[in-house]
Amino acid sequence: MFRIRVTDAMLLRDMITAISTLLDEATFDISTGGIKLRAMDPSRVAMVDFEWPKKIFDEYVCSETMKLCLNISELLKLLKRARREESVELSLEEKTNRLQITIKGKYLRTFNMPTLEPIEEEVPIPKVTFNAKAEITTEGLRQAIEDVSLVSDHVRIEIDDEKITMRATGDLMGATIELKKGDVAFLGVETKEVSIANFSLSYLVEIIKAAAATSEIATMEISTDMPIRLDFKQQQEGKLSFYLAPRIDVE
Amino acid sequence: MTKTTVSLEDLGGKSIAIDAYNTLYQFLAIIRQPDGTLLKDRTGRVTSHLSGLLYRTSQLVERQIKVIYVFDGTPPALKEVEIKRRMRAKEVALVKYEKALKKGDLEEARIYAQATSKLKDYMADDSKKLLTLMGIPWVQAPSEGEAQAVYLAKKGDSNFCASQDYDALLFGTPRLLRNVTITGRRKLPRKKVYIQVLPELIELDRVLKELDITHEQLIDIGILLGTDFNPDGVKGVGPKTALKLIKKHGNLEKVVPQLKEVEFPVNPQKIRDIFLNPEITTNYKIEWREPDIQGVVDFLCGQRDFSVSRVQKTINKMTESLRENKSKVTLESWFS
Repeated sequence: MFRIRVTDAMLLRDMITAISTLLDEATFDISTGGIKLRAMDPSRVAMVDFEWPKKIFDEYVCSETMKLCLNISELLKLLKRARREESVELSLEEKTNRLQITIKGKYLRTFNMPTLEPIEEEVPIPKVTFNAKAEITTEGLRQAIEDVSLVSDHVRIEIDDEKITMRATGDLMGATIELKKGDVAFLGVETKEVSIANFSLSYLVEIIKAAAATSEIATMEISTDMPIRLDFKQQQEGKLSFYLAPRIDVE
Repeated sequence: MTKTTVSLEDLGGKSIAIDAYNTLYQFLAIIRQPDGTLLKDRTGRVTSHLSGLLYRTSQLVERQIKVIYVFDGTPPALKEVEIKRRMRAKEVALVKYEKALKKGDLEEARIYAQATSKLKDYMADDSKKLLTLMGIPWVQAPSEGEAQAVYLAKKGDSNFCASQDYDALLFGTPRLLRNVTITGRRKLPRKKVYIQVLPELIELDRVLKELDITHEQLIDIGILLGTDFNPDGVKGVGPKTALKLIKKHGNLEKVVPQLKEVEFPVNPQKIRDIFLNPEITTNYKIEWREPDIQGVVDFLCGQRDFSVSRVQKTINKMTESLRENKSKVTLESWFS
């Protein structure tokens, strides 16, 4: 038996939107303690690591551990129909193995969708020792990434003892963005050594834009030419982190 | 049988062992002038297959797909009946083609021309030469190319096996892809209707689980329906009946006495053997290299009369995406 309910539809919608930046289909691990998801996008360049403990929900009923695979893009279409004051309930119809989505607000809406064959593959966390860590406002990070994406499709991120520097060089234009002590968006850095790595902006823009709806503070961790870890602090005890593999320049 | 439609984009980063003969035949059938004439160079050598190989392969490479071609060797002796049947069919098609041409019915002529496609040794040699210049690995199978491609997939040297032929499932490929080299808009014969062809993925485990049968039983069903080694199968037995019979009686030996008028051109046990223990080689090397741009241009344009600007553009674009791919790393590098 599995049933969850949130009184604010936006909470669920924003979270599913964040996951949908990487995945069309997602296999959730559901237990008595809450919901977890760790999965890579089809090209295996990016990973989402997501946890939602049961206390986030207004109602959480789960009788046994199970895997639930859903078409995220379809689910999102339905959730987008819900408004802020409306409550959403998801429940698994055991006989038919279909997920029922009930939206209660100005009127009552019940949708149902099929569940899919779960993916059994366990995805490990990338083994990376991060040498530099920065804390910034999610909105500040979002603005900076949108700035650099004007000139190129990839960015060089550097964190030293005082600041975060993002550099991009396109065919025509270049950009340098600095976030340092004293800036409103800048909340602090911790570095063992200066670290620099390159990343594809198409992923970063999508991830940060979607995560910004769920979080106000972001932690960015990097090491030279290693994957980046972005952790978006959740208002309650949930967890939303992303990993993105670096771009290694050949020439 | 469950087929999942996939897009070429989903296959990015994956490697695919392609049944070369199967693909070259498709190129010879499809890449023709409106009246059905093949593309040829000034000396009359056919070049349709080279055109297909160049443009299709580069399209796959641009989507970051790692392709391997597997060429047929000597066919198993058991295939003789089928080979003779195909030769006869081609002779018939040729007569009909010439008739249609005389009548001036181009549509009709094209259809019959497609059925006359013959793959000559020099075409396979030209194909191998082009692939080598393009930096694409190819493997020479001792016998059936499909069996060798399946071996690559089983061993993990490729993620998928690509062929139009379902026989690859009988050879035991874990994952079969169809339509990889013909993805796109296709015209239906005799109609002015175009359809969108997408790659299909068929997973052996899933098929066996859904039908609730073993791999050996699937082979037996294949033999009842007809394979390259007994093209006619068993009269009056379609897919549904074959599945029912094999499930009820367990295997082919027990099914045969239940049927009237069963005749196999060869001992079915031998056919089963080919699928279970095909002749393959473990002696091959798979390595993707940067294309030899000048080499491709010299060969295709200098010797086979291709347009320099088109070939150059294609091969440059392919080289660029290969470099781009190298700069993209997956998270899996940090798993171990």
